[in-house]
Amino acid sequence: MTHTPDMSERDGAAGADAPLLCLEDVSVAPSDAADPVLSRVSLEVRAGECIALVGASGAGKTTLLRTIGTLLPVRAGRLTVAGQEPSALSEADLRALRTRIGLITQSHDLVDSLRVDKNVMAGALGRWTNVHALRFLLWSKDEELAEARAALEAVGIADKLMNRTSALSGGERQRVSIARALIQAPALLLADEPVASLDPETAEDVLALLTSLARARGMALITSLHQPELAERFCDRIVEVAGGTVTERPRLVTAGQSA
Amino acid sequence: MSETLTLLASFFPPDLKPSYLAALVPAFLETLGLVFGAMTLATLFSLPLALAVSMRIRGAGLLIHGLSVFRAVPDLTLAILCVIAFGLGPGAGLVALVLYYTAAMSKVFADLLETAPRGPVEALAATGASRLQVALYGLLPLTRADLFNYGAFAFECALRSSVIVGAVGGGGIGTELVGSLAGFDFQRATTQILMLVLLIAALDRLADWARNHPRALVGLIPFGLMAAWWCRPEFFALGHAFHVLGDMLPPSLPTDALQDLPRLVLETLWMAVAGTLGAAIIGLIAGLGASRRVSPAWLVFLTRRILELLRTIPEVVWGLVIVAVAGIGPVAGAWALGLHTFGTFGRLFADTLDHVPEAPGRAIASTGASRLMVGLYAVLPQSLKPVATHFLFRLEWNLRMATVLGLIGAGGIGQALYEAQQLFFYRQVMAYILVTAVLILAFDRLSRSLRARLNRTGGAAVSTGCLPSPAAAL
Repeated sequence: MTHTPDMSERDGAAGADAPLLCLEDVSVAPSDAADPVLSRVSLEVRAGECIALVGASGAGKTTLLRTIGTLLPVRAGRLTVAGQEPSALSEADLRALRTRIGLITQSHDLVDSLRVDKNVMAGALGRWTNVHALRFLLWSKDEELAEARAALEAVGIADKLMNRTSALSGGERQRVSIARALIQAPALLLADEPVASLDPETAEDVLALLTSLARARGMALITSLHQPELAERFCDRIVEVAGGTVTERPRLVTAGQSA
Repeated sequence: MSETLTLLASFFPPDLKPSYLAALVPAFLETLGLVFGAMTLATLFSLPLALAVSMRIRGAGLLIHGLSVFRAVPDLTLAILCVIAFGLGPGAGLVALVLYYTAAMSKVFADLLETAPRGPVEALAATGASRLQVALYGLLPLTRADLFNYGAFAFECALRSSVIVGAVGGGGIGTELVGSLAGFDFQRATTQILMLVLLIAALDRLADWARNHPRALVGLIPFGLMAAWWCRPEFFALGHAFHVLGDMLPPSLPTDALQDLPRLVLETLWMAVAGTLGAAIIGLIAGLGASRRVSPAWLVFLTRRILELLRTIPEVVWGLVIVAVAGIGPVAGAWALGLHTFGTFGRLFADTLDHVPEAPGRAIASTGASRLMVGLYAVLPQSLKPVATHFLFRLEWNLRMATVLGLIGAGGIGQALYEAQQLFFYRQVMAYILVTAVLILAFDRLSRSLRARLNRTGGAAVSTGCLPSPAAAL
């Protein structure tokens, strides 16, 4: 990476001991009339922690991640990310907060008609001006391409920098979406079923990559997973989502920390 | 019958003498410059406007709504008003086309931007990107193919509109064509129609090339602006324009005209619905034939050339020919609309079929299904939504065209408008313009709510249901 924007400075702002993410009795509902999908959820995550969310399909894992990602409003309770409450922020401040949260989804959510380098550098949009963003679409500078290449190198596909996005395989697409999140240099990385659409071997590779990157760069990682054995192997804490709320599950083996 | 054949035969052979062809060149250049300049301006106005709407910038939606007034006024009427204000010549045509296509394209572009898949858009918003950045890196590239298709289609329409604009003294090839038809110089009219067909075919090739080189379009902007400057209005008789406008107010209709109004409105509606529906049914079949994915190359080539020929000839020209051959009345109008619309639908449906995601089709083909089965089970179901959208848009368009066709004897409210205009009954003219505008705006609204329902039902299957949209979360 050519530069990781003021990570230490940002974490300092939140206070050394304060948790990076804090949910207190949070409820989330799709609309005012509907029943809440999540009710009275409480969870604390500190910088550098690696957490697996497990639970059946439809239990609310995605809703929880989208809420933490500030994409869904909190109905009741309090959500703070890096000491800030998203619902209390102006649009500009909310954008600034979002640059610190990386989001990786199962469907990768890449823009097929843009080349790989553009998709990767989309992670920098939060710190770019609109003019910068427009200029990069028309012509790119060497240092920007170097930054994109470094991020792709971290996920092992530096050679795909100038490829067409639509020509990538599923595993490659997932790596590009991870690279996009790395460009953000987030304090908190959210991954929604990052390996659900991949074959077991690729899934393990991607998950190993994700957790090792998070540890190496001091990012907290929250990932939802369908495979309990992967959760055991790669994560520090396992949180079960069921019945609209979350419970911390004791780990069967102690591992991960040393990985 | 023999009279009809004799009349048809009088269109052939076309006048292909080199001296005549050379004499047509300036008129064609004027038309090309007019359309190129007008469409450059219209694109430069409408795309930012549509983006502003998709970015939920306050006021932008209202502006597009306000512009829809210009879509509600038939282009011929708009051109007449512009000729009054700007005098004869390409300047009036330029203003009429810019107004009309800014209104039309900003609306369609805004609607197309709304169809961008939510996932990538939300992923961009989640990185902290601004609304403009989400538009630049998400909405625009995600809908690029559709935006481009519509833009190229609008350019073609503008070329044909310029014929209509020329018909009222807006300059270019249209003025020549109407002169030839009015002077029973049918062989030269055929020459002009053939040259129009060739020009549009050439532009079609150019659009295919530009689709893969989108950045080249940015390089065309200075040339477009130069063309617009070349066609700029030379004078602006504001006093005269206001004087004529004053003569039109207040709009009024005599009692007998008022009693006849429902019949006129129904006749116009019938013309539009019959022409569009008939064209849609055969257009779907022709669309399969013209789809590069569904049909073999020879069939694609043949179908596309036939469709090209049908849609290159403007409704008004079809109308003039059919009215000359089969007599006046709404049936002639419906045929004129139907023939042209068939050419348009066939092409739009084929383009839609060629742009739907390939994966489901491959999955079905892997079961041993034939090309036709893949078309019916994978390609067609995926394209129903865009096809229905095209249909509704075209119906709106044809309702407006139905009033324009009235001017050349196809009946309905347009004919009443034309007759009032010929007799300088300006207050009646204004009354008919207002009735037309209300009719078109009302239909526009109906079509809009239908399309919104279409989007809702189509979107529920892929999105997470009733969760708030990413734009609302911004």
